[in-house]
Amino acid sequence: MVAFLQGGVAAILGVRGVDGRPLVGSATACRVHEATVVRLFLDRARNAPLLQAIRAGSAIAATFSSARDHRSIQLKAPSALVGDPEPEDLPEITRQCVILSDELMDLGYTRAQALAYVAFDPACLAVVEFQPDRVFTQTPGPGAGAELRR
Amino acid sequence: MTVCGLRALRGAMEGIAASLLSTCDADGRPNVSMISQVHWVDDDHVALSWQFFNKTRANLLATGKACVEIFDPRTHARYRLHLDHVETRTEGPLYEMMKARLAGIASHHGLEGVFRLLGADIFRVVGVEQLTAPVVARQDDRPPLLSAVRSCIDDLARCRDFDDLADALLDGVVRHLRIPHAILLMAEGDGRLFAIGSRGYPSSGVGAEILPGEGVIGVAAREAVPIRIGHLSADYRYGAALGAAARQAGLVAREPHGVPFPGLGDPHSQIAVPILSAGRVLGVLFCEAREIMRFDHEHEDALMLLAGYLGALATLLGEDEPRPADTSGLPADPPAGLVTVRHFARDDSVFLDGDYLIKGVAGAILWRLLRQNAESGRTDFSTRELRLDRTLRLPAHAENLDARLVLLRRRLDERGACLRIEKTGRGRFRLIAACGIRLKEMGEAATPAG
Repeated sequence: MVAFLQGGVAAILGVRGVDGRPLVGSATACRVHEATVVRLFLDRARNAPLLQAIRAGSAIAATFSSARDHRSIQLKAPSALVGDPEPEDLPEITRQCVILSDELMDLGYTRAQALAYVAFDPACLAVVEFQPDRVFTQTPGPGAGAELRR
Repeated sequence: MTVCGLRALRGAMEGIAASLLSTCDADGRPNVSMISQVHWVDDDHVALSWQFFNKTRANLLATGKACVEIFDPRTHARYRLHLDHVETRTEGPLYEMMKARLAGIASHHGLEGVFRLLGADIFRVVGVEQLTAPVVARQDDRPPLLSAVRSCIDDLARCRDFDDLADALLDGVVRHLRIPHAILLMAEGDGRLFAIGSRGYPSSGVGAEILPGEGVIGVAAREAVPIRIGHLSADYRYGAALGAAARQAGLVAREPHGVPFPGLGDPHSQIAVPILSAGRVLGVLFCEAREIMRFDHEHEDALMLLAGYLGALATLLGEDEPRPADTSGLPADPPAGLVTVRHFARDDSVFLDGDYLIKGVAGAILWRLLRQNAESGRTDFSTRELRLDRTLRLPAHAENLDARLVLLRRRLDERGACLRIEKTGRGRFRLIAACGIRLKEMGEAATPAG
């Protein structure tokens, strides 16, 4: 699963905003630390309300989808932390973005569209860290939504 | 809300790039998923398709609130929409449109029954955040569509009969809208559609048949709504994820004697718009392209305008002139050779020396003309007399007859048959046989040999 999460899949997240409404955002990349901590890299400007909500104690849901075959997994955690990326994160973020943009181009996106989809400003990234306590399959089909037991 | 309302964000609601959806349960625990489409409804509302009983559905019922992020592949802008659930519709035009789009996608991938729309969830958009600004998009890949539509309508307005209209429409789509692959189909009374002309294919496909509800064309006709797909291959991959049940369904009716459908082998984008007049579907204008995302909301608007205009003109031009047809007959050219024409009453299919020519109403018309010609030597006929002939089982509306005659004439021309139909005036035409004709009625029970 760690390989899947770090394999250039599309990562999105949902939280409960400080006003109680749901909020959705997208992550640029994902790293998994010691097989237990998931670290999502987010554009701060685009996701400011989500970061605010996480700091205020929102639970978090994150779904990871392969652009190529739609295999998907959703992770959930009761809380998360907001931090800054480490210098060594950048090459890995870039690597995952290249994989995703290549897959989007394989699907027929133009180069400009694919690059725009994965574009990020390294100076504007935040990290959201959480330890998932529940995992669900999300691949479209009969088993979608089923919880994976550890 | 933007100054221009949600209409300005339609580019991000093309159903091409996946959208993101988040909901929360009553205790504030979030759920997030990718969805294939956020459907633009009007300046204040969007709709999401309800396909499954899942966590998202449970959360919506519990809280009535959702949040989506959408991406405009043309401008690269992203938006976050805050949504309040208004209602779930399980019938009506919007539901039918979403259902039909879903059904069109499913039909192409043999997933009927898997992509099943349980309801159209309508949401009021209570907030819009622009997450990334639009970049100035190059628009040189298409002409200004309003101007292009005007040029098409100028051409249509000069037409004197349905034959001209069909050509002007297809030519206009290619020349002014810069869409190279287009097919015009007209509906039979039973819902089948026959191609009466095309542009951009090695063979015209005139006479090719689409069954009711088959592919984007059949669904557009059955539901009387435009059907547009911008990412066929991605949809197929989506289908593949659903398991081995996926099988590819062709657009073509697999009739043993049908005319091959002239469509592209590897289209990524397809759009089918119904040709409507007085609430009836007269036919379908179909366009396709090898590129993904070729047709957007504005193309749909443009093609719907043209289709509507064609529908109105076809109805007007379908009305007869009062002048009676000349039934005196003219001597035909001296016959050369002999062709046996067989007619199968079961489906009104007509064969020339064993080769399939046409079927349905157009086949019945040809058989009637040939019988009268054999009995009395008549060669000149009027659309009025055909319309009054109940044995032809014509649909009730005038423009349908014109379309059948156009189809018949084009099939004969294309086959290089020794038979031709020539226009001699508005509502009048002549049957010309350059060979001897022997008629063979095969009866109700007979079926053409496969």
